[in-house]
Amino acid sequence: MQTVVSVLFDVTLITMVLALAAFGLAIIYGLVGVINLGHGAMLTLGAYFTWAGIDAGLPFFIAVGVAGVGVGIVGIAFEHLVIRHFYDRPFDTLLLTWGFFLVSTEVVKIVFGTSFRNVTGPFPGAIDIGIYSLPAYRTFVAALSAAIIIATALVFFKTSLGIRIRALIQNREMASLLGLNIAATYKLVFAFGAFMAGLAGGLIAPMLSIDPYIGNVYLVRSFFVVIVGGVGQLLAGTLLGSFFIGGAETIIALFSSQVVAQAAVFFIAIVILRFRPLGLVGGR
Amino acid sequence: MAELLRTSGLTKRFRGLVANEDIDFSLDAGAVHCVIGPNGAGKTTFLSMISGHLPPSAGTISYKEKDITALSVAERARIGIGRKFQTPTVFENLTVWQNIELAVLRPGGSAGTPAAKIADVLEAIRLTDEVDTLVRHLSHGQRQWLEIGLLLGNESELLLLDEPTAGMTAEETAATGELVSRLARERSLSVIIIEHDINFIRDLRAPVTVLHLGRILKQGPFDVIAADEQVREVYLGS
Amino acid sequence: MSDAAVKQNTVFVRPASSFWGGETPVAVVVFLGLALLPLFAGGYPVYILPQYLLFGLLALSLGLLWGFAGIVSFGQAAFFAFGGYAMGLVLQAGLGPEGTWLAIAVATLVGGLLAGISGYFLFSAGVRATYFVLITLALSIIAEQVAVSQSQITGGWNGMFVDRLSLGFGPLGEVALYQDVAAYYFVLPVVAAVYFAARALTVARFGKILVGIRENEDRMEALGYQPWVYKTVAFSLSGAIAGLAGGLYASHSNFVSPSLAGVLFSTEVVVWVALGGRLSLFGALAGGVLVSALSNYLSSIAPQYWQLIVGLVFICVIVFFKQGLAGLFADLAAHMLPRRPGGQRHG
Repeated sequence: MQTVVSVLFDVTLITMVLALAAFGLAIIYGLVGVINLGHGAMLTLGAYFTWAGIDAGLPFFIAVGVAGVGVGIVGIAFEHLVIRHFYDRPFDTLLLTWGFFLVSTEVVKIVFGTSFRNVTGPFPGAIDIGIYSLPAYRTFVAALSAAIIIATALVFFKTSLGIRIRALIQNREMASLLGLNIAATYKLVFAFGAFMAGLAGGLIAPMLSIDPYIGNVYLVRSFFVVIVGGVGQLLAGTLLGSFFIGGAETIIALFSSQVVAQAAVFFIAIVILRFRPLGLVGGR
Repeated sequence: MAELLRTSGLTKRFRGLVANEDIDFSLDAGAVHCVIGPNGAGKTTFLSMISGHLPPSAGTISYKEKDITALSVAERARIGIGRKFQTPTVFENLTVWQNIELAVLRPGGSAGTPAAKIADVLEAIRLTDEVDTLVRHLSHGQRQWLEIGLLLGNESELLLLDEPTAGMTAEETAATGELVSRLARERSLSVIIIEHDINFIRDLRAPVTVLHLGRILKQGPFDVIAADEQVREVYLGS
Repeated sequence: MSDAAVKQNTVFVRPASSFWGGETPVAVVVFLGLALLPLFAGGYPVYILPQYLLFGLLALSLGLLWGFAGIVSFGQAAFFAFGGYAMGLVLQAGLGPEGTWLAIAVATLVGGLLAGISGYFLFSAGVRATYFVLITLALSIIAEQVAVSQSQITGGWNGMFVDRLSLGFGPLGEVALYQDVAAYYFVLPVVAAVYFAARALTVARFGKILVGIRENEDRMEALGYQPWVYKTVAFSLSGAIAGLAGGLYASHSNFVSPSLAGVLFSTEVVVWVALGGRLSLFGALAGGVLVSALSNYLSSIAPQYWQLIVGLVFICVIVFFKQGLAGLFADLAAHMLPRRPGGQRHG
């Protein structure tokens, strides 16, 4: 029983961290249909910007915030210069965002070098809940992740801004007739997704050693989270997808290695995709 | 003449909406038939079920006296059912020649060189001069003819034409009517046409089926249909 | 980047010319030139060129798939690497010079089967193109993990040593490829043969159907074709070619490791083909050879800046030059050469 509960805790923490990492992609892919293969690079940039901020003397959370904004700005720039011409061509955006990854990774290597960096988290140690011991920082991030996702979902579903964005995505033509500024809205969504990815990268940074390819660990995982959960289902899809991918990986890893677990989960996800192309939640 | 196509009790329901209800329809080989009706009457749905793009909720379809209700789109195309879609569905980035070539290269085609077959089709649809033109440079009307040409090249025996004259000039419309009649006459092709253009339908001199709210309202020769009270009400009222 | 400049460059398929038209003469000239190369250049070029040629073959496998079927795969490296491992394993079985042919066949078959099975699984269900890309990305990660984790077979991160081939011709004797010149004159004809075979395929009915499926899959279905069958065959062929290239590469470089299977290398292949030109088989081949060669050369001088430039050029190519550098050359050639009356037609 104790093992089950501690596995559950593990799964929950991993799920929520994965959800945070995937959320930026859920926004960009789900809302404006861009298959952002540069998502991992955005996470990486978030981690490096955070490191740089801390190195410059900023407190942790400020550094993370600045990192998020920084990646958001990079995202806007890329959107404005390149992506905005290609929204109706998903293949090209796929390749272009991969180009973004190539360029971004090399710039990171040039500016920061290739050796590992480390960021110390603000909450070392553990929280004790009865007989269970939870890593304090991870628990904090998991809770924050839930808060961010729910808050965004609330904005998206309950505010007039959110309604306008949804209207736009469902029917571009109608939205423009209603006077909505399509270009600006797409930019906003793209920037927000990038900001989220940067934020996630910064928050996750203390949990890993940072190198130029760190974000890519989350790239394919994030895609499976979004697709398995259901593209466009920001709240339920992201959470369900993360739970499935993160949970399955954790449980399988108990019986074999992390490496095998990841491969196995991808395999399972591919099979699911094949039989349920709209994901577990999606269905429109 | 032998019966080519028969639908019995063909019905299509979407969530909360009945698009087609209980359609009994029959068409002989070499016959032309028009399907008309106000918007939303279920005309395109009817065609989609015959071509295999929509599975029926109830009812059967038989073609050449075989039940084809379970066959896929590709399988039906191979036995001779060809569909021209409401929006011209051709290969925009290829030339006219390449378009028809793809139709002619179909699996299980008849004997004869592709070049000869393609030339024959080009002649029939009067696009011989546009052989090397990219389809995206053709006029809307020419694209419609090309799509009909694809069906010819594909050796379709039953042509399902969804609004072939939409967007055409009066001249092009007349030419299309003449093309359809000629094809039916000279090649014994059967044609079901969905149309809105009354003049086109009248000049075709083919029997008409009126669909309304998914059901067959009336069937008969054009003059009879045109004079029918109920039909006029449905059109004027909608 | 102005809207007009970007929108102008939409995909344009050049009419499939007859086999002897279009790019074939260029290919013939280049291959003949390469055949004469060892007479003028010795040592290093003769050693390294077969490896680049095999990268070119790998790029060709993607070019066939991407340019003609319109399917992007971020997983070609998996077939390449597994072809290499298969080669290594069969050679280890010690079947002698006659067994070499078996090894080559197995490497090709492994690539073809892996692609065929996954292709069938995915295409028959109508998995759409964009998901397919992501799935191949995942597959290359899986492939890399398998190569690492099954270290008792593959040697894990230490890699696997693969010997140079020794070709047995039965009673006629055997030809060992330990000498670089011998290896060169084995790899070159193989690459050329595969290229010309693929070229013939693309101007034949199969190639035209692939293009049709790429251009308008719905219309092809309504004309009686089953797109998933052709896509699966195309994917299998590309897997087989990649497997063959991988097997020969492993033998030539004497080494295969998991990094040859993974995402980074797989995506390099995509960059090669994008730069070289995906609407042209020879462009893809040339892209593979030239970009990888240039990469290796400039890597030793200024790795970061070279990769950065590659990334930027890649973006530019996708935005402006869909047809890659091959397309540029073809355009230039078209402008400079006199137009044939009647244009290119049915062939």
